[in-house]
Amino acid sequence: MSRRAVPKANPAARSAQGAPMSSASAADSALRRGLRRPRTVIGLGIVAVCVLLGLLAPVLSAHSPLDQSFGALQSLSLTHPLGTDELGRDLLARVLYGIRVDVVVAVVAIPLGALVGCTLGMLSANNRWYGTLLQRSFDLMLAFTALIMGMLIAALIGSGTPAVILTVALVNVPLFGRITRSAVMTQLSRDYAVAAEVLGVSRSRLMLRHILPNSVDALIVQAALSFSMAVFIEGAMSFVGIGVRPPDPSLGATLKASINFLGQTPAYSIAPMVVVTLLVLGFTLISDGLNQALLKR
Amino acid sequence: MLRYALRRIPSGLLILAVASVVIFLLLRATGGDPAAVKAGSDASPDTIAAIRVALGLDLPLPVQYFRWLTGLFTGDLGYSLVTGAPLASLIGNGLQATFVLTFAASVLAVCMGLVLGIVIAVSSGAGRSVLDGLASMMLAVPTYVSGVLLILVLSVTFNVLPVGGYRPILQDPQIAMQYLAMPALCLALPAAGVLARFLATSMRQVMDEDFVRTGMAKGLSQGRLLMRHVLPNALPPVFTVLGIQIGQMLGGAIVVEAIFAWPGIGSVLANATLARDYYLIQNLLLIAVSVFIVIQIVTDLAHAALDSRVRLEQPSP
Repeated sequence: MSRRAVPKANPAARSAQGAPMSSASAADSALRRGLRRPRTVIGLGIVAVCVLLGLLAPVLSAHSPLDQSFGALQSLSLTHPLGTDELGRDLLARVLYGIRVDVVVAVVAIPLGALVGCTLGMLSANNRWYGTLLQRSFDLMLAFTALIMGMLIAALIGSGTPAVILTVALVNVPLFGRITRSAVMTQLSRDYAVAAEVLGVSRSRLMLRHILPNSVDALIVQAALSFSMAVFIEGAMSFVGIGVRPPDPSLGATLKASINFLGQTPAYSIAPMVVVTLLVLGFTLISDGLNQALLKR
Repeated sequence: MLRYALRRIPSGLLILAVASVVIFLLLRATGGDPAAVKAGSDASPDTIAAIRVALGLDLPLPVQYFRWLTGLFTGDLGYSLVTGAPLASLIGNGLQATFVLTFAASVLAVCMGLVLGIVIAVSSGAGRSVLDGLASMMLAVPTYVSGVLLILVLSVTFNVLPVGGYRPILQDPQIAMQYLAMPALCLALPAAGVLARFLATSMRQVMDEDFVRTGMAKGLSQGRLLMRHVLPNALPPVFTVLGIQIGQMLGGAIVVEAIFAWPGIGSVLANATLARDYYLIQNLLLIAVSVFIVIQIVTDLAHAALDSRVRLEQPSP
């Protein structure tokens, strides 16, 4: 066990309150329990399959997602298992490569937003003046709902994948900020934190070594939820035309294009619908399962 | 209550004021040049410079900001950089269509959420799991998926509703309702799912309270107990969620309007963003943020009116 709630030469704090001493390890086992819950397992399975499909796109599809050399709006066939779109591009390739965009957006944007949010959250819990200022800034950011934020960003830096990444990161900052703040405030009022402070543990060491590891539960649940939000935001922004730029593949943009051809080739819309739903649902299930194990004790 | 309102309203207005400055400065500082947008792609630098003066873009930023604010209060919002149409009428028409859509969706969401929430709360075993799963699906499936699915089923397969479009509600209500039904349902689904889950959780908590047991011991009928005693006590926290959901609907409307070709504020904003119609974007973003903040304030006040613990709570540091 590498994470310790209390430094070893700290018997006073240890005996001050039994629970927090072991709470880092308790959190570990709660996390392990959370990961074993049926919902989490199903969610992880769904997400793993989808992500794997995206990563193996070049192996699974013989065509490039940008190759327009096939007949337009073909129905399902052996060479084009999902048919082709109105520009004669292979739909299987476009859906598989579309998953990759979501993976990139989520993997870049969420850690970025979480890092900034957690840092600001910790700062705001430690200083009254900053605290108020940052709290109000979080309120301000939350007043821009996800897509409104997306519109602002697209107006500023132009539509495209960078706009999607920036939007997802910015939407996550106040969420992680608020959660960190309230978790840190709860921990700071615990006896072990007071004891550590009395014993002269420096503020930064107290925060990083003791408070943060004990506050991590809520952040993990939020992270799972943020992944599902990232898929949703990418799809929505591309759907309304301010996300991934054509001709690059995106699940949202493919769905939008499919609306005009629902009568002729329903298969056009079904694959992107299924994949988006599975991704969003998968992450929601993971977050639900972890939430039950970690937060609702 | 008045003290709570006096604390809550100014902080909301302050955020709104800061939001207006942020929107204004960001669009001026990092966005492109509105004069270049208005002039078109092959305009000479002289033309652009002349347009800059005509639009007042050469004035100091605080003056420009103040002009924008006075314009907002007098209803003189200026003209679109792209089409030259007056912004007030563009925004007015959009708001009207979006209001109809959001209102219909809110009513649907409340009805579906109430029924589903109560049913989940009183059900048990496998039935509850299935219904719980249904509510989770409703809130998790993105509107752009459920919308396309609705079109696929109701328009393409069964041909009962039009694929998309808009008719003013006052001209021919019956036809207008047909155009409204699918977009409203699509926008309502996630909110209904959230409401149902919150209501079910809240009701189950109330059912564990002593007064419910007393009621049962007194011999009250199940239905009366549920409707007259459990539900009213379970509703206040759900109100807050309802407010947030209605606030979210304006963002959600952008997607739903794009699916069903509904000419609301979301469509206007999406087109403005793509065309870089900066003045239009600036006004629409501020409207979106104001609506969200106002709904939040109203929700908090309603919650405080229903629950004395909220209004007596000390302000957090």
